[in-house]
This record gives sequence, structure tokens and C-alpha cells, in this order.
Amino acid sequence: MLVFTRKRGEAIVIGDGIEIRVLRVGTDGVRLGVTAPAAIPVHRLEIYEAIRAANLSAAAARAPERLSDLAARLRRQRRADGEP
Amino acid sequence: MSDSPDQNVILLVDALPGFEACRRFVLLASSEIAPFVRLQGLDDPRPAFLALDPRTVLDGYRAVLTDVERQRLDAEADDSLLWLSLVKIDGERAWANLRAPVVVNPRRMIGLQRLEADDVYALDHPLHQD
Repeated sequence: MLVFTRKRGEAIVIGDGIEIRVLRVGTDGVRLGVTAPAAIPVHRLEIYEAIRAANLSAAAARAPERLSDLAARLRRQRRADGEP
Repeated sequence: MSDSPDQNVILLVDALPGFEACRRFVLLASSEIAPFVRLQGLDDPRPAFLALDPRTVLDGYRAVLTDVERQRLDAEADDSLLWLSLVKIDGERAWANLRAPVVVNPRRMIGLQRLEADDVYALDHPLHQD
């Protein structure tokens, strides 16, 4: 891992057009500003990790036998809610 | 990317976290499992998902795409987008990921998964009755 020491207002640049700037340094956190092209998604790591875990556990090799029961119940529920 | 997208294949402009190698999915619908649909990956490891529209799960489900997301989807004002929450199944219990749905622009057949820090909806909203 590359390690930098940066002061408030200083930045690093990654590749073409990605800039990460230290906006504020507090006792309980550092506020960062990220400038990146729209095609480069930027996310908080813990959110990315949580969604990754959800995706991995959702990937099912096959549908369970009871799926049609659950599907039928959801259809009934929608009708009861007045949906078309 | 081709200008004339395959009519049946959805290309994810950003990969699903956890399945970075699979960008192409086919959407399979059948009346037997409606409102669920299947999302079958076409690139190894060919993940398969069950999914459903989050509005089917929660009346009044409402999420607004960011400008960047709309740009990524090439979404125009009158494009009707497809929203799909991935579903986790364990025995007779099932949960829908309402926080990070996959959103598809059917006109372009491109999609992405929302990864916003929006905690209004759960990653595992139960579909079963306790």
C-alpha cells in the first residue's frame, strides 16, 4: 500500500482525473472530497461490502420448490392491496 | 458497446459487487413465478438470481436515481426503467434487497446496481410470513 501524509487542503491524484482531497481533519474523522469522472463509481467501502455480501448470498443456483407458493402469495397480496 | 443491443441481454455498466466478471444477464419471466423473474448471468461464474420489483414488496416504495446513475443508464425523461430487487432464499424464507436494486433501461438494455448510502430500505426485507 502506498502511504501519503497529507495536510488539510492537500490532495492526491490517481490516474487520469481522479483526485482525492483532504477537506477537514477532525478528532473522529477525516472529510475527503473525491473528484472522478462519472464513469468511475465511488462508494464507501462498508456499503460496497454489505451489498457484495447480500449479492453473494442471493445468488441461487436454482429456485426452491416452494417459490411458486411464495409467488402466489405475493400476487394475492398485491390484488388485496388494490393493485391491478 | 454495440449501437444495436441484443434484445434479450442486459449489459451491466457496473458489475454487481461480488460478481465482477459477469456483465451480461438474461431476464427470464414466467407466469408461474411472477412477480419473481430470473436474472441469469451469461459470463462465468454465471450467477443466477431471483428478483422482483421492489414496488411489489412495499407499497409506496420510492427511490430516486441520482443524475450520475441516470447518465450511466442513458435514461431520458420518458424512459420507463425496470427495477429489480435481488432475492435471497433460505428454505421457505425469502428476503428482497430493497436498498440496492438493479435498475435497467430497457430501451438500451443496460443496467446497474444502486450502491447509494441510502438506509431507508433494508438489504434484507423479509418476504415470508413469520
